[in-house]
Amino acid sequence: MSQNIAIESLSFTYAGRSEPTLRKINARVNSGDFVLLLGPTGCGKSTLLRSINGLIPHTSGGLISGRVRINEANVAEQPLSATSKQVGFLFQNPEDQLFSVVVEDEVAFGLENLAMPPDEVNRRIDAALTQVGLSGFRGRMIASLSSGQKQRIALASLLTMQPQILLLDEPTSYLDSKGASNLLELVRQLNETAGTTVIIAGHQVDEVAPLCNRVWLMHSGEIVSDLPKDRAFQRLDQFRQLGIAAPALAQIAEENGLADRPLTLEDALYCFRRDTGGMQPPFITKVENRTAADEMRNGPCSNIPDEYPTGRGSNFNGNPLIDVQNLTFRYHRASPVVLMRISFQVGRGETIAIMGENGCGKTTLLMLMIGLLTPSEGRVILDGRDAVRYKPQQLAGLAGLAFQNPDLLLQAATVSDEVAFGPKNLKLTSQNLVDRLENTLQMFNLKNLRSQTPYALSQGQRQRTAVAAVFSLHPQLLLLDEPTTGQDRYHLQKLMSVLNDAMAKRNRTVIFSTHDAHLTLKYANRVLLLDRGELIFDGSPETAFADPDCVERASLMPPLGMQLGYALNSGKAA
Amino acid sequence: MSIVNLHPRTKIVILAVVGCLVVLLDGPISLAVCFLASTCLVARSRASWHQIRLLILVVLLGTWGLVYSQAIFYSEFPRTPIFTLINQDFPVIGEVTGGIRFYREGLLYGAVQSLRFNTTLAIGCFIVWTTPPRDLLVALVQLGVPYSLAFMVTTALRYIPLIGSEAVTVVRLQRLRGFRFLRLNPIRTFSGILNSLRPILMNNVRRATQLGEAVESRGFSPEVAAGNRTSLRALKMGRCDGSLMLLLLACLLSVFCLKTLYFLYANGLYYASWLRGAYTFTREML
Repeated sequence: MSQNIAIESLSFTYAGRSEPTLRKINARVNSGDFVLLLGPTGCGKSTLLRSINGLIPHTSGGLISGRVRINEANVAEQPLSATSKQVGFLFQNPEDQLFSVVVEDEVAFGLENLAMPPDEVNRRIDAALTQVGLSGFRGRMIASLSSGQKQRIALASLLTMQPQILLLDEPTSYLDSKGASNLLELVRQLNETAGTTVIIAGHQVDEVAPLCNRVWLMHSGEIVSDLPKDRAFQRLDQFRQLGIAAPALAQIAEENGLADRPLTLEDALYCFRRDTGGMQPPFITKVENRTAADEMRNGPCSNIPDEYPTGRGSNFNGNPLIDVQNLTFRYHRASPVVLMRISFQVGRGETIAIMGENGCGKTTLLMLMIGLLTPSEGRVILDGRDAVRYKPQQLAGLAGLAFQNPDLLLQAATVSDEVAFGPKNLKLTSQNLVDRLENTLQMFNLKNLRSQTPYALSQGQRQRTAVAAVFSLHPQLLLLDEPTTGQDRYHLQKLMSVLNDAMAKRNRTVIFSTHDAHLTLKYANRVLLLDRGELIFDGSPETAFADPDCVERASLMPPLGMQLGYALNSGKAA
Repeated sequence: MSIVNLHPRTKIVILAVVGCLVVLLDGPISLAVCFLASTCLVARSRASWHQIRLLILVVLLGTWGLVYSQAIFYSEFPRTPIFTLINQDFPVIGEVTGGIRFYREGLLYGAVQSLRFNTTLAIGCFIVWTTPPRDLLVALVQLGVPYSLAFMVTTALRYIPLIGSEAVTVVRLQRLRGFRFLRLNPIRTFSGILNSLRPILMNNVRRATQLGEAVESRGFSPEVAAGNRTSLRALKMGRCDGSLMLLLLACLLSVFCLKTLYFLYANGLYYASWLRGAYTFTREML
């Protein structure tokens, strides 16, 4: 195969930073390769991808040495417009890369820049939209699309330029399981049928590992491992050492002493049946019987101390913390219904996950629970009082909310001020204030960052600061809206473990919305599933993930370990 | 042809002409006619009730602010006090200011200013509410605005609602953390508002950076924008557009001529008896 990307001794230090983000990287990618780039948050994955498509050094200030060559041309020396014909770059958040109102304009943008004749532009738009499965969407408003559709439109806008190389920076972070698998299937087809070279950075290793043919492991700005897929997952020690999630099935196979490291359910079933000779040895029984929490505890991040027992029970005592009664909501009188006749109760001490596909009303439900929105019908009783009767500042200490985007909450000059902001507003005595600040900083491992500006921190650190800032008010109810976005599993589990432990000790309630099955199975004792505004399930996560109807309607993806357990039990793939 | 479907270039010309007219005119009646005409445009724009409500709120607040401040701080002579807010023998404030009064001439001046402001505001809203950003972009480029600038303007317009909703979220999150924006201590109120601006600003800086990278990743650069770029969207002017533009330009030219003639007459530079009707009309109406 011909080589089309060559990275030679590439180092890069962002302006204003003393430490380099990339350190002497050397790598080669052949035409038609599919590379999975793994590494903990902040290790330099995005910076590396940006260097390959020339955004670094063309749009970022900093110190660069070494070079990236694409088909022998140095990307630093050719204009970005020339590189853009060869390399397509799909960003993490669909909202931040689409700037047109209508699909057609968005998809045409690149070709218009290349001054293509209008007939050719039209032909390529139609072809690209067909390729991403959105052929009837040409005249649609982008705002009316789901996140998954938006990400496919972003991909179509790259495909029109017919790039030889596709770089994807955590492209499924904002998508539900269905949206993510559709996108990845599309990328697989491009790689297999059109021979497009693909480099994909992300944390969703289970979904991407079966598609790739090479794996790069990155840590602290270096590629510490560059191996073909069949060798990359043979020994998983390195994954554990680096705090990187390894494929769940490969991990289970290793634990059970299997010779191979399967990445798909079919392969895993084959390996288990082959290696056990048709018998059901004890290790299979272990897989069958392991609970979802076990699956996570022994799973990819088993080096994380797990101090928190899962499955916290609820404590209603006839006085629920939240009582949602026949709740219906629409944003405007003429707009469609977002939530429809929803009723449930939440007790003190519960940990509840809200799941469902993009746009099903998860965030809206969270906001309704604390009276930030007024129900169209029905009502929400929060701690014995109609939620809409609370003024937001009266909720301080009763309910806290952290959104997916931590930057909407961070407003102070230092991390310390940020965490102290809420307790100060509660007018605590100075000694109580100091105690609470120190305890919270300690609990969330922020002491060494206390004098730093929150905006200068990494995404994971900002998320941790935002949650700490909300937690410092010691609310009875903590609401987290998609806390997983942009976080690797190691940091996410650390954050959730600390938080859940602290809330459990105080018998406080945590409710989080998420697409992450692992997170739900590990931390929630109850899950609410939404489908187009309807509550379709309210019960234990294990039951939800075992019900094919729930899985389909709420766009869930049961963890592969769990699917394997069921498949081995039933004799067929779940 | 409905006025809503006019070519975006015509709508921009309407705004430019009316913008000049309201500067040239200073008669309350003619300005009120301009304002009424602009509200008719808004009424035809099929805007949502939410948008209309927002416009009414801004118009009322703007009018109140201008009228009130001008009526109090009017410093020209002659001026006729309507009523006294603070008497000059009132301790400290009265002694320092010599009394605060509400002047009729200031009130009229404020009303005239608010009519100017509200007319252009209403027409601006009409344009934004009735023109898809993609058409506005094409129109601006056709009017000779550099593509990069036109692209920035239309993209910024598209993000205004998003920034608005983010601002609401930021304020909510601060209030949920026990912060009260309105306090007796103005320094704390001011610092609270400043703190709220920080997340909004930082978010927008991040978004703008990301958007810039996305745009450049798809082959956009100032050189490309200035060069021979394809435009898939083609807009053509209709006969109505041409007629309306001519009418508006004729109107602007007429007002300009009448005001110039009146200026020459009023300053003793030129007088013609056959123009007496024009002088009277200009003084009374324009």
